[in-house]
This record gives sequence, C-alpha cells and structure tokens, in this order.
Amino acid sequence: MSVQNINVALIGNPNTGKTSVFNQLTGLNQQVGNYPGITVEKKMGFCKLPHNIKANILDLPGTYSLNASSMDESVVIELLLNKNDKLYPDVAVVVTDVENLKRNLLIYTQIKDLEIPTILVINMSDRMERKGITLDIPYLEEKLKTKIALVSSRKGLGIDELKELIVSYKNITNEPCLNASVIDPEYFEKLQHAFPNQLMYKLWLVITQDVNFSNLDRNEVRNTFTKSHSELKRLQQKETVKRYQFINDVLKKGLKVDASMAKDIRAKLDRVLTHKIWGYAIFFAILFLIFQSIFSWSTIPMDFIDNTFASLSSWVAEELPSGILTDLLSQGIIPGIGGVIIFIPQIAFLFLFISILEESGYMSRVVFLMDKIMRRFGLSGKSVVPLISGTACAIPAIMATRNIENWKERLITILVTPFTTCSARLPVYAIIISLVIPSKRVFGVLNVQGLTLMALYVLGFFAAILSAYILNKVLKLESKTYFVVEMPSYKLPLFKNVGINVVEKTKAFIVGAGKIILAISIILWFLASYGPGKDFNEAETIVKERFANTTLTETQFENEVASQKLENSYIGLMGRAIEPVIQPLGYDWKIGIALISSFAAREVFVGTLATIYSVGDTDNESTIKSKMQAEVRPETGGKVFNFATGISLLLFYAFAMQCASTLAITKKETNSWKWPAMQLGFMSALAYLTALIAYQILK
Amino acid sequence: MIQEIIAFTILGFAVGFLIKKFFWKSKKKNDCGDGNCGCS
Repeated sequence: MSVQNINVALIGNPNTGKTSVFNQLTGLNQQVGNYPGITVEKKMGFCKLPHNIKANILDLPGTYSLNASSMDESVVIELLLNKNDKLYPDVAVVVTDVENLKRNLLIYTQIKDLEIPTILVINMSDRMERKGITLDIPYLEEKLKTKIALVSSRKGLGIDELKELIVSYKNITNEPCLNASVIDPEYFEKLQHAFPNQLMYKLWLVITQDVNFSNLDRNEVRNTFTKSHSELKRLQQKETVKRYQFINDVLKKGLKVDASMAKDIRAKLDRVLTHKIWGYAIFFAILFLIFQSIFSWSTIPMDFIDNTFASLSSWVAEELPSGILTDLLSQGIIPGIGGVIIFIPQIAFLFLFISILEESGYMSRVVFLMDKIMRRFGLSGKSVVPLISGTACAIPAIMATRNIENWKERLITILVTPFTTCSARLPVYAIIISLVIPSKRVFGVLNVQGLTLMALYVLGFFAAILSAYILNKVLKLESKTYFVVEMPSYKLPLFKNVGINVVEKTKAFIVGAGKIILAISIILWFLASYGPGKDFNEAETIVKERFANTTLTETQFENEVASQKLENSYIGLMGRAIEPVIQPLGYDWKIGIALISSFAAREVFVGTLATIYSVGDTDNESTIKSKMQAEVRPETGGKVFNFATGISLLLFYAFAMQCASTLAITKKETNSWKWPAMQLGFMSALAYLTALIAYQILK
Repeated sequence: MIQEIIAFTILGFAVGFLIKKFFWKSKKKNDCGDGNCGCS
C-alpha cells in the first residue's frame, strides 16, 4: 500500500506553544532552512500517521492576523493563497493558547474564510483547572465550524487526538464561520461579480495586502476595485471589529472563567520581575550566574576535548607514513577541527540558559523592563530581543529586528547589534582569558575568569547602547513609535524544547563555522608550509651557517629550521607586511595572520593560531592552550600572550566587526552598502583605538 | 606522490568551498506557481 503524503501547516500567534506542538508531532524529524529568496526561517518536519499517511508538517512563523505588517506574516499569507505552492496545506492547524483564546481566534476566523480545512488546537489545557477555565467544546466546534483538539504540548496530552483529526481532515467543513462581507455588502457583491471564480476573502486580501499572489492579476483587481487608502483602512478596521464581535459572542457561552477557582501567581511574579529596582537586580543576578556556570562547568569537557585532539594529532604523525598528507592532517586539519569542537561545551551551556529563560516566559519581562532604558538611547524595548539573541549570532539577530515597526529604531538596532558578544567571540575570549586571567576565586566562590567573561558581555552591551545613543543624535530620520509586547504566562521550561534548541543552535555553529574553519585551516597550512625564495627553500643551510659556532641539539636545530621556514613562508611574509600596523597593539605577525583570517568569521582566530603554532612543531601532543602559553617573543624572550596583549586582544575582539556575513546581512536588511560600510569603519576604528590604549597603558 | 595528489586535491576543495561561500551569488527563486501571479 502506497504512502499518502499530506501537507499540514501549523499557524498561530506567537507564544501559543506552536513550536512545542511541532516538536511533539515531529520529534527530531525536523529540517530548518529559509524560504526561497528571503531569510525568514522555515521549519519543516514529518510525522507518520495511521492508515499509511505521512504528514509533512510546516511550522509557519508566528503571526497575529492575515494583515501583513512584517515579512514573517507575508510568508504565511503568500503560502495560504497559492494553491500551486508545493507546501500549500491540505489542512491548517491553528494553535491557540487557552488563556488568550479571544485574541488567538482572530487569525482562525480569517483562515476559515480562505476555505481551507482547519483544525483548532486549544493548547496549554493543563492550566485550565488552575486558572478556573471551563470550555464547552461541542458548542465551540459547532459555532467555529471545526474540530477541536484540547492539547497540552508541554505534557504531550491530546497529541494522539490531534493526529487522528489530521488523518480525518476531509470530514471538516470548509464553510467560513462568519460572513465578513457584511461590512460593505454592495462593494463585496460587485467584487464577487467581477471575479466569480475567486474566493471573496482572497480578493479582499489582494486589494489590502502587499504580498505576492498566484493566478490573480493583482493590477486588474486593484485598478477596478481600489478605494482610497483611508477608506480601505476603515473597512479593515470594521472587518476586525466584526470578527471580534463574533469571537466574543462565541466565547461568552463557550468559555467560562471562574476567578474564585484561579490560583494565579503570575501577577505576583510580574510585580517582582518587572519592578524598577528588583527587576534589574534579578536580571543581572541571573546573567551573573550564567557566566559563572559557563566557565566552571565546561572546564572538564573542554580539557578532555583538547587533550583528545592533541593525542590524535600525535597518533596520526607517528602511525601514518611520513609525507605532506600526514603533515597536513596532523598539523593543519586536526588542530583546525579541534579549535572548533573544543568550544561545544561553552556554547551548549550558553544556549541552554538562554533557552530556559525564553521558554519560561522571563525573556518577555526583560523586554518590558528594558523598554524605558532603551528608549533613552534611541532604541525600542523590542531591541532587547536582537541584542540578547545576538549572543548566539548577529545574523539571525539582525533579521529579528524586522518586528520593530519604527525604521529609525530598527536601523539603529541593526547597526549596533554586532557589538553584542556572539558565540563566535566566545572561543576567542575563552582561550585568551584562560591564558592571561588567573583561575582563582574571590570571596571563596566567584571565579575571576567567569567575572572577566561577564564583564566582556556587559561591555559589548554598553558599547551597543552607547553607539545607539550617538546614532540617535546623528541620524536625521523621523518616524512615529509605539511599543506592544506579548506577555506570555510563566511556564516550567520543557526539557524537550530546550534540548532541541540547544542541539540545533550548537549544531548550526559547529557545522556552519566548522566548515569555514576547516577550509581556512587547510589553506593556512599550505601557506605556512610553502614559501618563495632562498630564505624558505634553503632554511636548513641558513640555520647551519647562523649557528656554525654553536652546538645545537637535534630538537633545537629542527625548531630553528621550522621557525626560519615559517617566518619566510607565504603566510609569514603576509604577517610581516602588516606587523607595523599591529605592533603598537602588542601583536606579533602570527597574531596578525589570525586577525586577517578571522575577518571572515571571528571564531577562525583560535583555529588559525592552532594551525600556525602546529606547523613544524615537533611536539604534536601539546594542546592549543599550551602552545599559545609557550609562545615567546624572540626579541625580548617574554611571553607573547601576556596580560597586556591579552587585554588588548579581548578589547579588539569585543569591538571589531570581524564578520563578513554580518556585513552582508546588514546590506541586505538596509538595502544599501552605506550602512555596512559605516558599521565596519566605526567598529574597526573603535577596536583599534581601545586595544592600542589598553596595551600602551598595561605593557 | 599519492600523498601530494591527495593533499593538493584537498586544498582545491578548500579554496573552492570558500569562493562558493563568500563570492558566489545564488540566484533568487520566486516560487509563484503557474500563471500571472503579479509578482515582479
């Protein structure tokens, strides 16, 4: 018997637990990508259902209505109107939150008007008793003309019933649950008369929305039936009022809330967590705990990974036949990969904490709390989301600015988000902090390395808001602003959701950055292993002549030859060319090479140094850290990575725009090269100056 | 000799990958389905 494929679209307001339902349905059978031509995230998965049915589940971006005000919402509308799209749903599943049913049902009534079979999921049903909520399901099903699944995605309740409803979706009526055309019967009648084969609501969306439609000549519809802008707005408002009137009437009988039964602690928690003093104190205490934990907990797995890769390099060098490929593996590829893998524990811990804060509903309180402060710096409370998600990566964070309605606030947020400490900076910080900051505790509990890491995160945040303040004064753009934020209920974080998020984000970093780092490590190894002219090719003779009057051991001689070759290799020559510019910052030419290669992506810095210090190194068993620790300046004999150079490097990476992909996304989001060029110039100048001042004071 | 061939092939792949990653522009696709969809 052949498998029947059906497309299922999960639709709903943000914070209704739509992604939890998606995770429950698909488990780990998920794929994350982008919609063609745009950078809105597309999450797909599949679920095997009874009767040999395979459901392709599409988790659409959270949207409040079919009136598109953002790119995320346009994606939903375009898919629901294009029957030729291969993802066009056979059945729509609208996910709602039992506590916010009134607001969540707006989009449901709109989708019903598109005559798509629609199942209504009422999620978070496990809270009904606690909140004193009772539902009359048969009545709601009758009035809303659908089948309802009462689900608790957090506890996995009702998922089997939902699957059964999906299997029998053909039994659900396509009939709309209200008649929206009563807002202007004459107008809609003419419209339907002119296009008898089209759905009325689809035609209405063609007129009012600026999105792409299939099989419809938008200009024809618009030219014939357009009204003035204000008239259309007035009709849209009437339509929304009409829908809410209908929803109110239905819920008046279908939903009862007995306040005396409610045992609500939400209000009490909100009072503390958004308090003008305690709110900030708790927020900073949470951040403090996170950064202490990242350093303390990840030490053991990081040391294990570092030693494993060092042993692997040594094993490859000893066991494989000697030659260029063996050297490439032991000195280029393995140390390069090790330079990425080693940071898995810290990145996973960071995402674990961020996921827990998001899942619990606390992050929305932070947005609300920070709005007042943000506004003083020309930002919006909503800018906190990109600034916090920028701790993962600036690219999705810049894309997340799309929900900021005010263009000036959005532009400023885009320009300052790269100051936020992203996960790519974490490897650089981690290795340098471990080299130059002592691993001791103050007051018996506070790890100094953890404190330094937190200070760098705070520094990045302040650099972002101070730059925003300057930009707010400099940029002459005027636009109106308003602030609306969703306050979801508090929830215990769901282990499955947190786990999937941590795995996906860590995987994205390791796979995305890992490929680039591996490729750069290979190229660097070649550039460091080959060179032009006599100084490279006759390195042994030159060393012999130089030490003609000195007795060198075999190891000392090999090290001198390796050093002579590296210095005169292609990469050595490149590093020496930029040395005059970076010397005042306390960097040698080898660090210079790492600075150049890490312009593609910051995390390449550690991998580059690991490769450069491995070339010609006779001791393959050394770890990256011990190699960096042992590096000395030939002219003074002092350590390369001393306190002054370390702080200078930390500050350089805190402020520098070392990320080609972020520049590309800024160009894409602002539609101009002017803004990324400004971003690059400003951040590089600030990084150079602060690193210069720090080194000159501390050396 | 074999080691050299493999090593330089790996180098070729690495260079090719980086060029594709940073300099290759992928063509945008507009999935509008059949007919005149009105998208530019």
